[in-house]
Amino acid sequence: MSLFGNIDVSATGIGAAQTWLNTIAGNIANMNDVGPVNAAVYGQQAPVFTPTVSFDQVGDGVAVAAIAVGDTTGIIQSDPSSPVANAQGLVRVPDVQLGSQMVDMIQAQTDFQANTSALASAKTAYQSALTLGT
Amino acid sequence: MDGIVDVLHFAVDGVTQQQQATANNLANSETPGFTGQDVSFESSLQQAINSTSGGTASVLVTPDPAAPATNGNNVTTSTQLVNAQEETLKYQAMVEMLNAQFRLVSGATGGSFT
Repeated sequence: MSLFGNIDVSATGIGAAQTWLNTIAGNIANMNDVGPVNAAVYGQQAPVFTPTVSFDQVGDGVAVAAIAVGDTTGIIQSDPSSPVANAQGLVRVPDVQLGSQMVDMIQAQTDFQANTSALASAKTAYQSALTLGT
Repeated sequence: MDGIVDVLHFAVDGVTQQQQATANNLANSETPGFTGQDVSFESSLQQAINSTSGGTASVLVTPDPAAPATNGNNVTTSTQLVNAQEETLKYQAMVEMLNAQFRLVSGATGGSFT
């Protein structure tokens, strides 16, 4: 535990929420990708959160253990005008649902804000400690 | 455990750990399977203060008994945010008490009481 350690704990949460927001942004940006039927397409990404184990009893925050990549099989659609369409006019598109991404985004945003709020609380407490003896 | 400064010192350390637990719970509010942590020291400190033979207080870390959600996580963000505010106020109150004690000592030794 470092000096002002509680701020570091909240910082890990803010970082994790930021990573989550980044993956959501990537998923939405690639939602309309179009690829040939015989190739893999963009797989939806999601961070894997794990608690950071502390040597003392209380936990030390959260870490992003990995970025899980979802199904790269995607969905086959008919789009004969696409330059990558096969002879039957079929293309492969990523299986990214905008609705679930938007819900995740709200959750990630709330997560970010909650950690920011906890950081502000810790900061206020530490600031009062700095007045000791003055 | 005697002396107001010693008691407040222990309590400030305890509240700091409570704040760490709250920060950790919030950081893991989206971690699947995570069980929140509760930190308590108040009743142990009370017992140590009341003990005539000079008891020792300790900080107790326990798992949050709340029922988990579908992803196995049992952290309630709103509760934790309220805890964070409460702990900050407790911390500030204790620091104010410590400063009051220091002012008393300062005044008694010929310095200023304010």
